[in-house]
Amino acid sequence: MRIISKEDFNKFVNSLIKDDSLNVIGVKAKGNKFAFGQLESAGELRLDYDVTLLPPKKYFFPQRETLVTYNVANGFFAKDPADFKPTILLGVHPYDIVALLHMDEIFRETKSDPYYFEKRKASIIIGVNIQNMSKWCFAPYMGCATVDYGYDLMLTDLGNRYAINVGSQKGEALLEKYAKNVSDALARDIQLVGQKKREIMNMSQQKFNFDTELIPELLSKSYEKSSFWEKHAEACLACGSCVLVCPTCYCFDVKENPDLSLKEGERIRTWDGCLLEDFAKIASGENFRPTRPTRYRHRYFKKGKYLFDRFGFISCVGCGRCSSNCLPDIANPVNLFNDMYNEVTNTGEQVAPVAQPDVSIETEGNINYVPKLATIVKKVPMSYHETLFEIKLDDGSNLNHKPGQFVQVSVFGVGEAPISVSSSPTKKGTFEICVRKIGSLTTKLHTLNKGDKIGIRGPFGNGFDTEFLKGKDILFVAGGLGIAPLRSMLNYVLDKRADYGRVTLLYGCKEPREQLFGDEMAALEKREDVDYKPSVDWCPENELWAGNIGVITTLIPQVNFDPETTYAIVVGPPIMYKFVIADLKKRNVPDDHIIVSLERRMKCGVGKCGHCQINQIYVCKDGPVFNYSKIKGVPEAL
Amino acid sequence: MKPKVAFFDFAGCEGDELQVANLEEELLDLLDQVEVVSFREVMKEHSDNYDIAFVEGSCTRLQDEDRLKEIRKNAKYVVAIGSCATIGGINSLKNYQDLDDVRRTVYGDKANLFDTYAARPIDAVIPVDAYVYGCPITREEFLHVVKALLLGKKPDIPNYPVCVECKKNENVCAFERGQFCVGPVTRAGCNSCCVNEGTICWGCRGLVDNPNENSQKEVLIKYGLTVDDAINKFKLYFGWQERKR
Amino acid sequence: MENKNFDVEVHHVTRVEGHGNIYVNVRNGTVERCEWNISEAPRFFEAMVLGRKWSELHHITSRICGICSIGHTLASLEATEAAMGIKISEQDLKLRKIALHAENMQSHLLHVGFLVLPDLMGVGSVIPLASSNPDEVKTVLRLHRLANEMSDMLCGRTTHPQRLLPGGFSKIPTMKELSGLRERLKASVPDLQAAAKLFQSLAPKIPDFVRETEFISLTKPDEYALYDGKIASTDTDSAPASEYLSYTNEYIVPQSTAKRAKHVRDSYMVGALARLNNNYDLLSPLAKSVAKMFNLKPVCHNPFMNSIAQLVEVVHSVEDSIRLINELEAAGLKSQPDYNNPKIKVKAGRGVGAVEVPRGILFHDYTYNEKGVCTKANCVIPTNQNHGNIELDMKALVPKIIDKKPKEIELTLEMLARAYDPCISCSTHAVKVHFV
Repeated sequence: MRIISKEDFNKFVNSLIKDDSLNVIGVKAKGNKFAFGQLESAGELRLDYDVTLLPPKKYFFPQRETLVTYNVANGFFAKDPADFKPTILLGVHPYDIVALLHMDEIFRETKSDPYYFEKRKASIIIGVNIQNMSKWCFAPYMGCATVDYGYDLMLTDLGNRYAINVGSQKGEALLEKYAKNVSDALARDIQLVGQKKREIMNMSQQKFNFDTELIPELLSKSYEKSSFWEKHAEACLACGSCVLVCPTCYCFDVKENPDLSLKEGERIRTWDGCLLEDFAKIASGENFRPTRPTRYRHRYFKKGKYLFDRFGFISCVGCGRCSSNCLPDIANPVNLFNDMYNEVTNTGEQVAPVAQPDVSIETEGNINYVPKLATIVKKVPMSYHETLFEIKLDDGSNLNHKPGQFVQVSVFGVGEAPISVSSSPTKKGTFEICVRKIGSLTTKLHTLNKGDKIGIRGPFGNGFDTEFLKGKDILFVAGGLGIAPLRSMLNYVLDKRADYGRVTLLYGCKEPREQLFGDEMAALEKREDVDYKPSVDWCPENELWAGNIGVITTLIPQVNFDPETTYAIVVGPPIMYKFVIADLKKRNVPDDHIIVSLERRMKCGVGKCGHCQINQIYVCKDGPVFNYSKIKGVPEAL
Repeated sequence: MKPKVAFFDFAGCEGDELQVANLEEELLDLLDQVEVVSFREVMKEHSDNYDIAFVEGSCTRLQDEDRLKEIRKNAKYVVAIGSCATIGGINSLKNYQDLDDVRRTVYGDKANLFDTYAARPIDAVIPVDAYVYGCPITREEFLHVVKALLLGKKPDIPNYPVCVECKKNENVCAFERGQFCVGPVTRAGCNSCCVNEGTICWGCRGLVDNPNENSQKEVLIKYGLTVDDAINKFKLYFGWQERKR
Repeated sequence: MENKNFDVEVHHVTRVEGHGNIYVNVRNGTVERCEWNISEAPRFFEAMVLGRKWSELHHITSRICGICSIGHTLASLEATEAAMGIKISEQDLKLRKIALHAENMQSHLLHVGFLVLPDLMGVGSVIPLASSNPDEVKTVLRLHRLANEMSDMLCGRTTHPQRLLPGGFSKIPTMKELSGLRERLKASVPDLQAAAKLFQSLAPKIPDFVRETEFISLTKPDEYALYDGKIASTDTDSAPASEYLSYTNEYIVPQSTAKRAKHVRDSYMVGALARLNNNYDLLSPLAKSVAKMFNLKPVCHNPFMNSIAQLVEVVHSVEDSIRLINELEAAGLKSQPDYNNPKIKVKAGRGVGAVEVPRGILFHDYTYNEKGVCTKANCVIPTNQNHGNIELDMKALVPKIIDKKPKEIELTLEMLARAYDPCISCSTHAVKVHFV
């Protein structure tokens, strides 16, 4: 520990400011509140603050950030990250330091976000122990009121001087270069700091009536209590304030911004929030979390349960920003959890802390946000609103996808959307996507022609387990557009026919004119090694239809299969799953023999932006293919 | 072939059309992409052959309806610009008063020479394809909608409250400063410009699709506004939208 | 001449703000009908503000006009402040004056550059000029942009300015920003000179028409009055702004949704020409030199010269803004809290605000009860005050141009309407005054 007088500390800050190669950010007054901002002089610094309006995460994960630029002639390019000056952040409270450590793990799980880390690497964190605590703060309960790690320097105010704990080489070097008259701490200083830290533990005006380590378990017992969530969320304005000011929130949206010439533009990511009404809405208009109570509940579950299960931490540092910014005052986690504890224990239930999960954060490279340029080599209309596109990557490489994976398709000026790959990886050189015209991107895509350029990122997702399914009988059940992703697996199996057992395809559409891949279906009918059964819900008078008429479940009784050896792969519109699975179970198909593929709104494709989340699962990363036994307990899944 | 555009105005202050003129040098870039065939404020020529019609101002008289229907017939796309055309705007304040009284207050015994009915947004009379909200509109959003139309895609207009932008801009909430704001139920897209300038949100962009009006009114009262004042705040811009709910 | 028979009918005159019509019928060389007629939908602002609070009135009345927003807001604030005895600081006064200069510049440049210039260059709009005379158009755009950025800096934005509040500003620029603005204003002089030279070259196209009339504007002994002052007339002595009703005397004509005004003659004119006629000596040096380029001096009775008077005023506004910034710097710019909200002691009262907006003298007259709620309001818009003069000018002009082709007569009459820079949507609401 070191000591520096306040006067010398001010000189230290001023000499940092004088150095043009550094960006010096500190806590300043803003109206009757505080905020991190550029320092013009040490006099502006307010280390006695209680809490800042926005957490320091805005410097590493900014409100708006360009990820990619594009040019219709040349394609897509990463935004050059190099122009980021080394930044000193002065006055970070321990809870915000811990929050940054949370964000570090989240942003490097599986794949690392280069934009976040280049800023993190170029910055120096000078923390300060809390002198005044906001009345909403409950950091002591979350173990975040003081911290021993995660800073380069940590200051404690001792009246006429600061105690400085050095946390890293970077911090040591900074003191050496810019500070004068720094002496070693005396024993009394060390004791004083210890005392101050004790005092901080007792400063909170909020009070938990139970041990916060019970939170994940309490939540598990409270998911189904709809009246609880409705009561608490009744006054919710869906304004997003609670999540936007949160130091551990990281959901983002991605938007395209073309310039007026339409020849070039940029792709921007911006903060988003799961409390906002359209967060989980897809192009067809379906909203997977349409009500305020369901969205309100999701936030608590993500912070207190889903992230706990993945990373072992409760993703809340107790800063109290959400509570202080909520106008109807319904966002205070302390009130909510105290009420939840009462509700659960009043029924006589016992609540025990759940064991810490095994956590290992693996990183395999950086997230790629930059699409590759690709060309449409063939365009085949399939129905009145679906078109098959055959795509070739301009760099000549194969997509090398697994059946069931998807790609993110970019259309210049419009944006990016996830579309499943409809062809088998056994088809080399090009791949196919079957696109329904439904939203902005798919509508624009339909106006493109052979020779036009698009962008491709991916492949993403887990895909069907082609190895495991070898030797098994496969029952494909395709509802409507579900045939598109299913076809990638079906064609794979047909290309390696000898590796698989019996193959059955049940394909149901609303009416004959909606049937896709008509020629291929006709060919299937002729094959002896495939049992093909189509159906339509109804057939208009002027159309011919020789097959079954009725919903797809009416086909199931017509098929003979052995539930022990058969695996059902089911893909279709959300409404279909419930009924098909029920009928399969009636035929004694075990849960783990049923495989589904789900769709959700996706922006990043790599499990970061938050839009595709179904409870604790990321559809883009943990899916889109799921074994039914794994998701039957997931309430938001089907 | 550049699409042909035309500008029309009804009962409004022409502030939104001024924002188009205020594009300054970008106006020249805009003219590279579209052909302006009618813009009464700025040019003499007029043509009834246009693809996109931008309409400013509310419909406040029966005779204005005919003009609107004519525009709808001629245009492929009709875009309402500004509060008055999109949500009724400040004109809808007078809807709360007895319209005969209003006419008499203003024109005295000549009142019956001047007809008027409840001020309404233009989509109360004709179908509208896109909206540029705000009083006035912002140049960025206007250009965003133009670009979207040129690209054949749906404009990306937020359906969340101004609070989202206010928080991103790190403003001190109006309620924390002893003022009263309707941002929590007002549609974002303005980048919280009024709060950024040190004041409050007045609601000029209209309500979001599913506002929690009760909660907002309760918040206003909790922070010290009287019930009447809270209701009056909603009348300023939400007059037409509230009547419809 | 005796067998001249024609009709001129212009529905919705172009290149003016708002909807106005011109009707002329000539039979046997005699002008049987000559009307300037407003068909704009009335908006009833004076009724809309009744029952609303003092803190809202400026926000509502700003919406009377998108171009003169700053002017309406300031007149509104002056009326509220007069009604409640609120004084603003010297610093805020200077800042408001700079804001008004910004509006004057923006509006005049739009008018002379986009609305009048095409007539003088023989085209239908500024759009073809963008290709044929790109430099001139870019000069106008540069100056217009400077004016808009000036408004942004002082008020938040040009149209419906947020920063202007009763008692002061919610936010003020820093001295650094004002110094930067001063540099830009100084650097704009070459562009101003280029614009002046352009109009000088086109001066022969300006019709030489004179009809004696009265000119009314604000006046002050020590500055070219825009923000405040007494009411001046070229015909009578001046009077305090609170006595405006004895000057305006509004009346209704059946064919028009806008009211008209008269003072000692059948009509009078307000606007840049009126201001110049009443206050010429107080124009800034550079402005005077531009006026001299056109031989423009008091009292000029040619309404077409209103556009030139506007050009002169742009130059004056630039120079005077520089003076005001110098004064602010010399006194030291005092900072104020973020999100400033001036504390107002609410009381009952009546107050009149009088401001020169680009198109002329504007009056806002409010009465509040003890709760600060508006019980009566009256707004007299400059363009209302000009309608009578426009019609009488037309009646005098038509016989002089009766030998020309109808299309030319039509164009000249439109140019006459345009010269007044009418703001018709603002003008379509008037109040039958019954104050006791």
